[in-house]
Amino acid sequence: MKWISLIPVVGVGVLLLFAAQDFPEWGDPQSPASQSPVASHFINNTGVDTEVPNMVTAVLADYRGFDTMFETVVVFIAGIAVLAILKGSGGRRRGTRRAYEVEAEPDIIVTHTVRLMVPVIQIFAFYVLAHGHVSPGGGFQGGVVMGASFILVALAWDLDHALVRMSLPRCMAIAAAGIIIYAGIGFLSMFLGGEFLDYAELEKVLPVSREMARYHAMLGVEIGVGFTVTSIMFALYANLSTEGRLKGGL
Amino acid sequence: MMSFSSPFQCLASATVEAGSSEGGFLVLQVIGVLLGVLGLIFFLGAAVGLVRFPDFYTRLHAAGKGDTLSTMLMLTGFALVTMEDFSLSSWLLLIKIMAVVFFIYLTSPTSSHALMRAAFEDDEMPITEDDIKKRNRQKGGKKS
Amino acid sequence: MTHWFAIIMGAALFTLMIPVIYRIWVGPTCFDRILGVNVIGTKTAVLLVIIGTLFERVEMFVDFAITYALLNFVGAIVISRYLNRTISLKDMESREKEGARKR
Repeated sequence: MKWISLIPVVGVGVLLLFAAQDFPEWGDPQSPASQSPVASHFINNTGVDTEVPNMVTAVLADYRGFDTMFETVVVFIAGIAVLAILKGSGGRRRGTRRAYEVEAEPDIIVTHTVRLMVPVIQIFAFYVLAHGHVSPGGGFQGGVVMGASFILVALAWDLDHALVRMSLPRCMAIAAAGIIIYAGIGFLSMFLGGEFLDYAELEKVLPVSREMARYHAMLGVEIGVGFTVTSIMFALYANLSTEGRLKGGL
Repeated sequence: MMSFSSPFQCLASATVEAGSSEGGFLVLQVIGVLLGVLGLIFFLGAAVGLVRFPDFYTRLHAAGKGDTLSTMLMLTGFALVTMEDFSLSSWLLLIKIMAVVFFIYLTSPTSSHALMRAAFEDDEMPITEDDIKKRNRQKGGKKS
Repeated sequence: MTHWFAIIMGAALFTLMIPVIYRIWVGPTCFDRILGVNVIGTKTAVLLVIIGTLFERVEMFVDFAITYALLNFVGAIVISRYLNRTISLKDMESREKEGARKR
């Protein structure tokens, strides 16, 4: 019976490959998707308004900043929900081990490689975060790479070793700080006379032009997103992999 | 005949005389293509070993070594091939690709080692000569 | 020439991935399958650089390649640590059989 399912899979694959010929050229401004009034407005005005070469980042953090702020809040709420469900249930069987778990020493080769790689990975995460204006990247991606470095520490040694560096209260404090940074930039621009998340008004406190003020405010917003995503990634891993016991772990 | 802004530029503009009818291709590109083909040969070895070898540890041996070396060679080849002029951005590109090479140089053997240890602690025993003899005897018994 | 070199390299890589996929499909133990996935993941970093060469945006695709290599490493470490910290798969199967017999 397994073999019958191969037929539709191969058929759909061939159809998709056949349809891939009709794709527009990569990055073609004349493609049908770029011809709509909204898209052409962004294509024409993003570079003039914000001086950001990467259009996606400009739309995500500036034109559509309100949406992205609440996406970050959704990530935060997901972390809070997992903590609320698992933290209480873990207390009852703290320290007990499942029937299929055994004791395992940290592997010396893996730990040494991870010791070498983690700083490099964290620098790469900062690069992805800060370079999001020019190349693909930004707060969410940089935060995920940063969280992966903490997860790598928790994997190579054990969870306690990572929790010393990034305990759960600290995680939640950093996550909240990320949202406060994001909303703080929004409120700051509101107090300076604009609307909520109207970054151009920040020129009154930054020594740059209106366009560059939007450019730099986007970087601040991305840093806030990066804070939240990093700490929520690690909190989710720590809670889900140990079912709330915060002991041993994967 | 030309003034070179950097000592490496003479290397790039030295055309191969035999192929000059095609417009002249660069020494760096030839080296890059050679490295890429060498990487493909090593990957062929890894793939054949992955199919043909009898037990997990020998397959891990073939895949771990051949895969790491072939990836590093191919990426180095592409780093040289994409080096068109010696401007700052192309140097940055070279450094970035070399960062991938360095990353794979460190991580790929480590993940091979971690897999090997996981398999060994999971009671996956390597194949021995006795096993091969036993298997041959069983095959012979079935035939006769 | 760079263009054709990239296309031929990509096609050759795809062709050589077929034996690896055979090992993932057949693989007697689960470790063989993990190994095959790991090999293909490493080669995907190369493929991303090749795609970047074709689109002439290598500086963008190299970032993807770094991230992909990183994710591949994390995945291999996750699986090996999980198998290290649990009892062996054969024991798990035999325990499940015992449990089924008791019921």
